[in-house]
Amino acid sequence: MRKAVQKLIFIIAEHHENKAKSVVFELAACADKIKRICPAEIKVIILGSETKKLSFEITHTTGLDAVAIEINELALYNAEIYKTVINNLAAELSPSFIIIGHTPRGLDFASGLAVGMKAACITGVEGLSEAEGKICFKRQMFYGKINAHITADSEPVIITVQPGAFEPYKPDNASPGRVETRRVECTPKFIRAKGIRRCKFQDSSISEAKVIVSAGNGIGAKENLDLIYRLAGIFPGSAVGGSRILIDRGWLEYRQQIGLTGAQVAPELYIACGISGASQHLAGMRGSGFVVAINRDPKAAIFNESDVCVVEDIKKFIHVFLEEYGKRGI
Amino acid sequence: MVSGLFEMKILVCVKQVPESDSSFIIDNLQEWIYKEPLSYKMNRFDESALEEALSIRDRYKSVGLDVLSVGPENSKDIIRRALGMGADAGIHIFCDADRYINPFLTASCIVSYMKDNYYDLIFTGAMSEDYMQGQVGPLAAEMTGLPCVSFVVKQEISPDQKSIYVERELDGGLIESFKLTLPALITIQGGINKPRYPSLSNVLRANRAEIRTINADLDGNTDPKQINSRITIPEKRREGYVLSGSVQEKAAKLIRILSQKAFIT
Repeated sequence: MRKAVQKLIFIIAEHHENKAKSVVFELAACADKIKRICPAEIKVIILGSETKKLSFEITHTTGLDAVAIEINELALYNAEIYKTVINNLAAELSPSFIIIGHTPRGLDFASGLAVGMKAACITGVEGLSEAEGKICFKRQMFYGKINAHITADSEPVIITVQPGAFEPYKPDNASPGRVETRRVECTPKFIRAKGIRRCKFQDSSISEAKVIVSAGNGIGAKENLDLIYRLAGIFPGSAVGGSRILIDRGWLEYRQQIGLTGAQVAPELYIACGISGASQHLAGMRGSGFVVAINRDPKAAIFNESDVCVVEDIKKFIHVFLEEYGKRGI
Repeated sequence: MVSGLFEMKILVCVKQVPESDSSFIIDNLQEWIYKEPLSYKMNRFDESALEEALSIRDRYKSVGLDVLSVGPENSKDIIRRALGMGADAGIHIFCDADRYINPFLTASCIVSYMKDNYYDLIFTGAMSEDYMQGQVGPLAAEMTGLPCVSFVVKQEISPDQKSIYVERELDGGLIESFKLTLPALITIQGGINKPRYPSLSNVLRANRAEIRTINADLDGNTDPKQINSRITIPEKRREGYVLSGSVQEKAAKLIRILSQKAFIT
């Protein structure tokens, strides 16, 4: 039984093929941080047509309690069902916070849910702190060059949390949380899910590389990719990656995409060339060992995530770098 | 172009955003940035949304395509650009607040316009490049009771014009597909198409076109909201040692650092 003073936090578990997405454990870490500021009980909410395996995985890894809601129609994700079912559960249990992954899936229903619940909704949260008795959520703005600190002026508050922003919450020796399984009916009126398929293939080569030289919009022309490959060529065990925009343009292949919708990598050395450092990209490379960034814009956000910063034009700098490198030992 | 009766009205919501290489200067109260020195362009995601809508109009000539923007006076520039790209009419919801406008307020502005103006389809970008919230589209949809799918990479309207098939992108290269009844709102992922350049004849028309202007009612809005308490420069998460000197010197320094760390031999 929840104490009267205690608030309630919902974590919405994102999953695929009966497995929890890694972001779920980061959401748990975020919930744990909120709990330290205002005492709260945490419940992981799992929606699906079959939830047994998922609830076992989540409650055993986190030690948190779960409410598993089984809905026949939810063999495939459907925003309408998510919004209706979570809204009903929230009306019953009155959570103060609902924590969702800042992923294409999470963003698909978070804001709509907020309208139904008359909740505030803050997306892309990367950190939080206490300010005058309220929780202040930190998120990026303006290409990562500015942090905004946003508070909600009422509860409940829905937040979406940037993947990679919190260390996964996996306490040692946690006794498994309890699972409450419910079964509800919900038939969508306006949206029909038609299927899910893998259309682009990732291979492990980029994730296994010791060194990644990564290109962004700042490289300018496609021809300059040649320089990126030449730079990568001097490092043993290296691979070339890039930010989403270069994949969209067809300059690089999808398996080379690093970031939220691409690969999450953690090489020993990451060289970011002409990458601005928006949060979607950072989500894919924050675990890197040593980071060097080259960018013409001294205020580029990537420099906040770098061990060494080179403020130069990419093309010019890599040319000179390769020249200087070639001179060595002569 | 497919002939036959295909009557449809589409609204595309666009936003102006500062260029990514801009310097953002925080005001004295740490509340917002100085907007003056910035130069603006159309949000990349919105350009893709507009291109998707234009591609529907290319196929079906009886499609009407309006473009709407909520923002200060210079939002008219991107509305004119959209007209230059081929939109029929522009609507500007004037809102010149020198502070953070939360997505509920922006969505409410769009919704108040939509209440008196029917559209079969509403397109927005999946997010704006400057705020990166990804909220305005889904909020506006829910406020008006429309079905919504976000991060759409492909769309096709059914021949009977009663539904739309969409594919959306998830992480890890997964694609989900849905069928939505119309009217509906979809938000478009950036980079899924090549937004066209304005044509000369359209630009001439756009320059003469009258843009309908509506004043936003921000104070009359009592929806739940969030406030921006302050803005700051992001803290450094790593050492951030900045190399100095000429290009040659910087290159030599970087080579030295990388060999000390044994990344190069």
